[in-house]
Amino acid sequence: MPPTASDEAHQELLASLDVLSKPRKFRNPNWKPSSRRNKTVKQIIAEANRREASVMATQNNSGATTPALQPTNGAATPTSGATANLAQAAHSLSTLVLEKNLQARLVAEGVVSASDGATAAAAAANGGGGGGGNGNGTGGAGLVTYTSIEAAPSLHPAHAKPYCDITGLPAPYKDPKTRLRYHNAEVFQYIRTLPQGVAEMHLAARNAHVILK
Amino acid sequence: MTITSVRVYEPIRILQKPQNGVDEQQQQLSPPARVWLAPEPPFRGPIPSVADGYRKSSPSTALIIDNGSSLLRAGWSFDKLPRLSIPANMSKYRDRKLNKSVMYAGWDTYADATTRGQIRNAFEPGTGVVANWDVMEGVLDYTFQRLGFGEDARIDRPIVMTEPLSNLTYSRRMMSELLFECYGTPSVTYGIDSLLSYRHNGGKTGLVVSSAHSTTHIIPVLDCKPMMASVSRLNWGGYHAADYLFKLLKLKYPSFPGKMTETQVQEFLKEHCYLSKDFAAEMRSFLDWTGLEARDHLIQYPFTEHVVTEKTEEELARAAERKRENGRRLQEQAAKMRLDKLLKKEQNLEYLKSIFTSLEGQTKKEIRRILDIEEFKDEAGLERKIKELEKSIRKSRNKDLGGPENEEEEETPSFPLLEIPDDQLDPDQLKEKRHQRLMKSGLEARQRARVEKEAEKARLAEEQRLDDQKREEDLAAWLIEKHANRETIISKIREKERFTADLGNRKSMASQQRMKTLANLASDQPGRKRRRAGGGDDDNFGANDDDWSVYRTVQQGEVSDSENEAEDLPAALKVAEALLLEYDPDFNESHTLGAQSDWTKSLLHAFIHGPRPFDPESQKEIHQIHLNVERIRVPEVVFQPAIAGVDQAGLVEIIADILNQRITNPSQQQDILKDVFLTGGNTLFEGFDERLRRELAAMLPADVKIKTRRAKDPLLDAWKGAAEWAVQGNALKEAAISREDFMEKGGEYLKEHDYGNVTGL
Repeated sequence: MPPTASDEAHQELLASLDVLSKPRKFRNPNWKPSSRRNKTVKQIIAEANRREASVMATQNNSGATTPALQPTNGAATPTSGATANLAQAAHSLSTLVLEKNLQARLVAEGVVSASDGATAAAAAANGGGGGGGNGNGTGGAGLVTYTSIEAAPSLHPAHAKPYCDITGLPAPYKDPKTRLRYHNAEVFQYIRTLPQGVAEMHLAARNAHVILK
Repeated sequence: MTITSVRVYEPIRILQKPQNGVDEQQQQLSPPARVWLAPEPPFRGPIPSVADGYRKSSPSTALIIDNGSSLLRAGWSFDKLPRLSIPANMSKYRDRKLNKSVMYAGWDTYADATTRGQIRNAFEPGTGVVANWDVMEGVLDYTFQRLGFGEDARIDRPIVMTEPLSNLTYSRRMMSELLFECYGTPSVTYGIDSLLSYRHNGGKTGLVVSSAHSTTHIIPVLDCKPMMASVSRLNWGGYHAADYLFKLLKLKYPSFPGKMTETQVQEFLKEHCYLSKDFAAEMRSFLDWTGLEARDHLIQYPFTEHVVTEKTEEELARAAERKRENGRRLQEQAAKMRLDKLLKKEQNLEYLKSIFTSLEGQTKKEIRRILDIEEFKDEAGLERKIKELEKSIRKSRNKDLGGPENEEEEETPSFPLLEIPDDQLDPDQLKEKRHQRLMKSGLEARQRARVEKEAEKARLAEEQRLDDQKREEDLAAWLIEKHANRETIISKIREKERFTADLGNRKSMASQQRMKTLANLASDQPGRKRRRAGGGDDDNFGANDDDWSVYRTVQQGEVSDSENEAEDLPAALKVAEALLLEYDPDFNESHTLGAQSDWTKSLLHAFIHGPRPFDPESQKEIHQIHLNVERIRVPEVVFQPAIAGVDQAGLVEIIADILNQRITNPSQQQDILKDVFLTGGNTLFEGFDERLRRELAAMLPADVKIKTRRAKDPLLDAWKGAAEWAVQGNALKEAAISREDFMEKGGEYLKEHDYGNVTGL
């Protein structure tokens, strides 16, 4: 088939859009990324957990972070205002040492006064430390991770009102056979005429199609 | 792709004021519903590379990239708005015609069907985390090209980039490696998009609620400092909402012929969905007929109507005339042929008659010879033949002339031989007698049937008379009886429907019965029942006629016993209802079964096809999508995640939990509640802020003052905030990770600051 005028115009358009055919000299010619750098979140979290388990608790965060310095008035950040206790120091000794060194350097440079610096260091140990795996979610400063900030399930699951799986209207009934919730007799009749497998798809739409393996 | 024809709407039940007329010509009939057309792929045309920003910038001017999972925004720190706003899509493949690899990014991936087919997104679906770094790299290449880099050896500008709250360390390391090692940037600063948006909107202390494309984050902020220990994430965002809507639509229209795409569904979400002020109440009456016309949004997909060529009056008349003409010709031909046949028969008759007469006075031998030539057995045969011919000639003459047909019926045949005992007859007569006996029994049977018919007719008439009499005597009792009769018929119909529906189901009673029968038949040992009946090896199957009905039971989809009467159930119902309609003053048209199962009574019809009748033959109508319940059902999930089966607390419960459990100081609580700040694309739903404020007020003590506000631009404020932050004093310098830091401390190194993450896993 000979190319028509519009085909050619489209080819030209595509050529003009192509990223590869334009100069990309900003790229490092020696850049060779790992072929296995694409990972799902699940993989990443699993690997991080494995690695964490193998690293000694006190040796993490050795210089991985420069904690933010707290403002000169320590009272302004009450959540992180607690003093460092020995247990935390034992968990992340390296962080504490790092902070001490930083603090000493800053004091020497005259950036912050000594008393404020001490608060800041303690706060930093509180916030950035505690990497020993006890990601306590409530109260005080704990380790903040991708998994730990996930909201918990509802405390009042009974308050969740059931809605019809087909129409979305309030559903006072539940079909014992398909486990679908339904609004009235008409919807029930419809449910009973569903072809095989479709009821399961309705359940899957609200994550209720549990398959035990 | 356009709509090629428009059918006239049938009259509708609920009238509505005309909206911008899509189908102008029908307005005299009924004002048409507003129709939305299915959106086209979002190709934006080529975006040129502009280098003026780059020329204007100095080595200390930061390049701002808001790396959002819905759209990546990029521009210079001195810009008011991002220069580039593209989805993080890449489509890379080998073009066979040109024999080279090609790569498209951003909106360009929607340029044509081939590029669309190869689209891959940089983010893991449903999270804000980059999972595909090849795509990320391609998208960044494209971004830098469009911002005017290209001939330079490296990206020699500091980069400010946003990342999700509590980004995974691995993800940050990959990004740092990419930016430093591939692009050679001097420094990178990471910030959290929602905090930067809050900064842009002048927030100091408050609660940042960022419901974005892939997640919903809640971050309390005190004196410009995020309280990182109290943040929370709900795994629901615009992406999930669109995905959920897509699932719902696929279930609602399982055999939808058009091609629904994810981008289209995202458009539906943006355009048609809103947050209900009172979800439970609104949902309960959402499909009520009153006002459904306004609540139901109709989306028309492109379709091609089957072409039905309309014939003109004249053409129709001509066709009819032609048909008649043909018929006439055929009739004439048939008549001619009949005439020919008749002539032939008459000639034959003449001939046979002449033979018959010539036989007279001949010797026996001669007669034999003549008969042999003519292939007759004896004289009687010849006579019979002549009689037959005469009869058929008479018959066909009658037919042509329209005379009386069954004249031979009139003459009652006599059976004289039957009276004579056998021993007085010779063999020929015996044969004749047998024949006569047969004829006689046939005749008698016919007469008996006729009598029976008459009797039946009389019985029906008598029944009818009795029925009428009963009705006249006691109408109430009669009506009760008739109503009961109607109920039985209806329940029979229902029963039958259930039975046929059940047959498809493997676990149903009917199927199980059938399997049992099959197993019984297949087993070698005869069943108990049969052993009792017969016994021994011979199971005498078939001796009883009922045995054969087993094949009917076994046949799939057959209603075994009630089959015969099942056929006329609808007819019987019609008769019963006609009677009631005639004599029961309380029973009118709207009470009949037909009227009750009408579409105007059907909730599911309203749900699937909206407030108008549906014609399954119309191509236009089967290419339509009705959004009604979904309009509030999908956005509601943020407040009630259980609707979509997300096992997390709703937005309000999360906020209340943070306030009550983690922020113990009451004055801080109150300060925070005075500024509940909404940002992110998923908060754009109409009524989001109002709804959140009301529900929070319901959860918290009455004297707490709650103020909600939306970001000025929930989509772009993160980028703007980052740009402002980058030019402000030496804020950037303190938070930036320099090339030296990266070399010394590795890819996971992070400097903590007020708008960024803290170190995690």
